[in-house]
Amino acid sequence: MLKKILRIFIRDIKSTKREQIALYIVFAPILLAVAITLFAPGLNDTTVNLALLKSDEPAHIEYMQQFAKVELYDDLEALETRVNKRDDVVAIAPKGDGYEIVLQGNENEIVQTYSTMLNSLYEIGATPEDTSATIMSFGKTVPPLKTMLVNMLVSLTVMLAGMLIALSIVTEKAENTINALNVTPLSQTGFVIGKSMTGGLVSLVSIVIALFITGYSGVNWLMVILVGVTSMLLSLIIGFVQGLASSDVIEAATNVKMIFLPIAGSIVGYELLSDKWQWTMYWSPFYWAYKANDMILSKTADWPTVLLCTGMVLVLTLAVFFIARPKIRKGLS
Amino acid sequence: MKLLSSYIKEMKIAARGFYFYVELGIAIIMLLILLFAIAENPDSKSKEYLFNDLPDAMTDAFVEEDIEEGVARWADDAELTLKPIAFEITNEETGELASYNYDEEKIVTARVLEKVNTQTGALTGTTYILDNEEDMIRLSYAEQAIGATTSLDDTGRLRYKYYLQGYETDRMVDLLYVLHNEDPDVFAASFDSQQVRTLDTFGTLNSRQGLVPLFVAFAGSLMGFFIVMAYIFLDKDEGVIKAFAVTPSSVWKYLLSKTMVIMTTVVVSSSIITIPVMGGQPNYLLFYLFVITTTFAFATLGLLVASFSKSLTQAFGALFVLAIMLMLPAFSYFIPSFDPVWLRFFPTYPVLQGYKEILVVGGNVGYVLMYSGVFLVGGTLLFLLANIKFKKTLTV
Repeated sequence: MLKKILRIFIRDIKSTKREQIALYIVFAPILLAVAITLFAPGLNDTTVNLALLKSDEPAHIEYMQQFAKVELYDDLEALETRVNKRDDVVAIAPKGDGYEIVLQGNENEIVQTYSTMLNSLYEIGATPEDTSATIMSFGKTVPPLKTMLVNMLVSLTVMLAGMLIALSIVTEKAENTINALNVTPLSQTGFVIGKSMTGGLVSLVSIVIALFITGYSGVNWLMVILVGVTSMLLSLIIGFVQGLASSDVIEAATNVKMIFLPIAGSIVGYELLSDKWQWTMYWSPFYWAYKANDMILSKTADWPTVLLCTGMVLVLTLAVFFIARPKIRKGLS
Repeated sequence: MKLLSSYIKEMKIAARGFYFYVELGIAIIMLLILLFAIAENPDSKSKEYLFNDLPDAMTDAFVEEDIEEGVARWADDAELTLKPIAFEITNEETGELASYNYDEEKIVTARVLEKVNTQTGALTGTTYILDNEEDMIRLSYAEQAIGATTSLDDTGRLRYKYYLQGYETDRMVDLLYVLHNEDPDVFAASFDSQQVRTLDTFGTLNSRQGLVPLFVAFAGSLMGFFIVMAYIFLDKDEGVIKAFAVTPSSVWKYLLSKTMVIMTTVVVSSSIITIPVMGGQPNYLLFYLFVITTTFAFATLGLLVASFSKSLTQAFGALFVLAIMLMLPAFSYFIPSFDPVWLRFFPTYPVLQGYKEILVVGGNVGYVLMYSGVFLVGGTLLFLLANIKFKKTLTV
């Protein structure tokens, strides 16, 4: 049995290599991992962007540069043109004896408060020296935004595993190999395991490489693999069902969107819903996987919580499996 | 005429197929998510942990001022679980390092102060006030949120000790230092006297409306990129291409009719998402012009990429990588202060910004018209290239 499963796996690797899709699926998360690594410093450095006049007091310009990104313009008209552009830039222009803060009107409230605060501090002559504040640091170097992006990348890679299975099954159906397999000694279970190994292995390799690239090599790898494998089980089951249910490639392509919806919904729910509304996402196994990965990547995970999250993923996956089993059996017959 | 009959025939086939209805179904699901799961002004998840080593009357005086102004309110006390944890803290001034190690789980009660946006009523943050400094530090570390201790020094001056995670920028740290340099009353007086002028040339979108450009751009315009080549390969597999080769119609009419089917589907699905959320606010003439031109451009890009592939699975990988890259401008859309120049070269950047301009009151019509023209011209060029390539490959 094991030998036959391994043959299915090797055959799958060969055929996906021929189609190059496995390479793309490995390549996509790696490419994104590189992008995140390049992006992250810029994303973290988002205090406030100010536009000042070149003719402004050098002391004012220098003061603002300590606390904000500063752009300089020739005249008031140029300042207003800059403020009117799509991004959040606030102008501070001399007016009378003081300054005027010019806003577009659609900025985040914090941008307005921050720029007003900076100009107030300048006007009262406040400096970072002689302060009554002490800063204590936990010494963390990875911002949560980067952790969020890497976690999203892991979820995307899990989705890709399902996609790979769905497309592979559609191709098998088009080439009538599933019918041919029914007359071989290989059982349906063996076929399912063999095919799942390709998607699972390709995605796990991508996740590991992506975590190394983004600088998460110090995470608890046992936890990562545990959560990765359990959440991938679900993705693979969905991939199987969608592949078998799709009569042609266009249906399989459309179904990719359907896998995407619960994953994206779970991420948005976890990140945006306040604590009292988090329970509304408990139905989604992707939510539990995302939550576990969030704690693992931010190095605040403990085994009881990770096991609880993994357990929830497994229970919900089993529920999906038992619902989908008749469809899978029928599709493979 | 041939193009029209070809389009009508393709629409009839599409209407009998699975994809068309799934696309509409997904648009309906997205609409339901927007209407029922996304609040117009959602509560913020932002947290901070405080320990006030001050007389109670002084703590209450700070809070009461905010409550009177309507920017804060007391909520029910919360029970917080402190998990076993170990970490180190460095004093940024002295470099002194302190280690903390907790083996036991602990449950503590905190007073909860909610900060409120006076205009929308939505929560802008939650402050947990603890009775013990060590508990506050543990929570600040575990929850990755700012922590602070307020105390009085020997001279009766307020002292602030901030617990930062370590990844905050120097600008942020400098701001915390400078904030506590002067007398708070002097600072407050200066803050209140600042002159602020709003240009008011641009309206705003609430959180729900702000997601519409994203849904329409990625689930609509960008999807044409995927689906058009799926149609082509499906026809190839089913032998439609062979049948087509013996008809008097030309390849470009076949390709354009396929693109038009995608454009029609996206017009319907984007209407399902946009109209119930935005009502009569946007300029729909401009909206549909932009939907059609952007969908046309992305569908023709999909055609061109597909023309280099022998099968759907081969094309799918390349298209998927490209699609993911095209989603990157969403970061700039959600974080306006993050707007690097290189990101503006991605075609999806003007698509997102264009939809935003259309939906918002007083949006920049010139921007939308200019990019509609760019997408139309770009799409036409891509279409011509795809036509040349397909003439060689779409054969019997």
